[in-house]
Amino acid sequence: MIRHLECFVAVAEESHFGRAAARLGMAQPPLSQRIQRLEGEFGLRLFDRSSRRVSLTNAGVLLLPEVRALLERSQALQACARRIRDGRSDLLRAALPPDLAGPTVAALLAGFRGRHTGVELELHELATAEQLAGLRAGELDAGLVHLPCEASGLELGPVLRRELGVLLPPDADAAALDEVPLCALAGYDLVLFPRAAEPARYDGLLNSCAREGYVPDAVRHGQGESFVHGLVLSGRAVAFAPRTDREAAERGGGPDGAGAAPQAGPVWRPLVGAPLARRYAVAWPAGRDGATVGSFVEAIGAALRDTAGAHPDTPARTPHLRPTAEFWL
Amino acid sequence: MTEIQDRLGSAFADAGVSGVLHARTLRPSPGAAGPPDPSGEAPFPEIGYEPDQLVCTASVHKVCVLLTAHRLAAEGRLRLTERIDCRAAGRTVGSTGLSAMLDDVRMSARDLAYLMMAVSDNAAADLLLERVGLDEVNRTTRLLGLERTLAVENFAAAQAGMRDDAGPAGAGALADPAVVSRLRALDPARSNRSTPRELTRLLGALWHDELCSPEHGEAMRRLMSLQVWPHRLASGFPFDDVGLAGKTGTLPTLRAEVGVVEYPDGGRYAVAVFTRAADTAHVLPAADSVIGTAARIAVDALRAPVRATVRRVR
Repeated sequence: MIRHLECFVAVAEESHFGRAAARLGMAQPPLSQRIQRLEGEFGLRLFDRSSRRVSLTNAGVLLLPEVRALLERSQALQACARRIRDGRSDLLRAALPPDLAGPTVAALLAGFRGRHTGVELELHELATAEQLAGLRAGELDAGLVHLPCEASGLELGPVLRRELGVLLPPDADAAALDEVPLCALAGYDLVLFPRAAEPARYDGLLNSCAREGYVPDAVRHGQGESFVHGLVLSGRAVAFAPRTDREAAERGGGPDGAGAAPQAGPVWRPLVGAPLARRYAVAWPAGRDGATVGSFVEAIGAALRDTAGAHPDTPARTPHLRPTAEFWL
Repeated sequence: MTEIQDRLGSAFADAGVSGVLHARTLRPSPGAAGPPDPSGEAPFPEIGYEPDQLVCTASVHKVCVLLTAHRLAAEGRLRLTERIDCRAAGRTVGSTGLSAMLDDVRMSARDLAYLMMAVSDNAAADLLLERVGLDEVNRTTRLLGLERTLAVENFAAAQAGMRDDAGPAGAGALADPAVVSRLRALDPARSNRSTPRELTRLLGALWHDELCSPEHGEAMRRLMSLQVWPHRLASGFPFDDVGLAGKTGTLPTLRAEVGVVEYPDGGRYAVAVFTRAADTAHVLPAADSVIGTAARIAVDALRAPVRATVRRVR
């Protein structure tokens, strides 16, 4: 039956028996037979073959989304069977974004183990877009994604927020301030992650900068810490980053703050009013939140709070709904 | 020329329009410096770009009609709930609201006001205007000391004049730059008129309840925040927590909006932007959105903690 349904979707998408057969790697006559058998099974005509093109009947159009959903579940079922066969059923396949520091990852692993789920945590380092694809393909059970992201078909856990500060060249005027207003960065280029990676987050960040009076003349793209620091140290650019242990230590906030030696790196300063933040949430396929996913959500939440200064994100501002919203609450 | 005015000039030029603007702080944000003018004449900073140029107000004048209806209501000369007949025959034409509807209706004065403000309904505006009278509209603006703001005709008459000027070719002729250049509707000396500075003054009066009670003010501000158009002033403020209230005005090659922008920190700014496009096309997204861009440049300058670039007008 599953194979027959795959034939139905292929013919529906190609609108052509020959092309559908080629795509499925089979000959055309058995494909036609399978479609006929399916039509017999349902007691419905699925395709109009009257013209040269093959087109879906009304019945076919109505059935197509149901069939697609069934095939997706079938793939997940097969993946699950494979894992049981390989003796890996007691496994949570989870992903983290590449921007988490070592102590956070270590705290997650220790915290998850400490919850005694009897399940092994298999961690992958993946960017948000890759995580979303993996979650939808049934290759991941949970992932810590950056927000905003388009999460239809997924469920999200509580949102956590890490405020961003600015990395400045050590000789920048703003480095003399305890807290830097964004408008004081005027004249500096901005080093930012490539837009294609997370377009909504990229645009939102630049929109927030513009609102506070910082419109960089140029945005230079970079992600690796050494590269970003290098561009900042060259004296013409700034970058945004959360507070790290090193900055906490330099500013006397760390365990051995008093003795920390001055660093040759960029200077980190908080931003006035904390207008920028990196926001995270755990995502999982809708309806698949077992106790194991719950333990992961708890463990990564605790790890982010304890090691990365993250805190719950509460929308502080009341929105003004404009009539273009076309709804009213 | 200050840097802000350079930026306004380039924004207008980039969009293929000429523009004039006035923006004033109605209530400063706590972060913005700038002590009130001791003379009291301009208590908060302003931004001007040819702010005293006489402009055709077009549908922006509906704000004056709204204010007049509420002033008369406050004086006991009009009930906002009184029913007004809107017959299908002889209705002022337009593309929205009652103007576009086909059958007889009766509705309250205040609901006509809603349609006039939310979708710039010409039929609703003329029914209200007929009820209050053109002279009372001009009395309203005189009471506020707006000496260069004047209504000379209703919306039906303005459109009839445009139809006469366009000639037998009708709306098609409005693509012809020569025809557009001769439209009386685009001559501020012969049509409803004002200046950007007087219009931000009008908005200030509306927001500070100068002509009627706070209840009336609240009703008028509600209607102005229900305007549906997202393409002009609102496009410059892509922030969910920023409140917008405004009224557009449009004629061939003329695009305008006046409105009030309110930030969550309490900062409140009145802006009036009027543009004339080089192109006679009716659909010019860049000419619409530059109204938001210019307003944002001005409001950002009024909000800036460093005031060096803000020119004090007057």
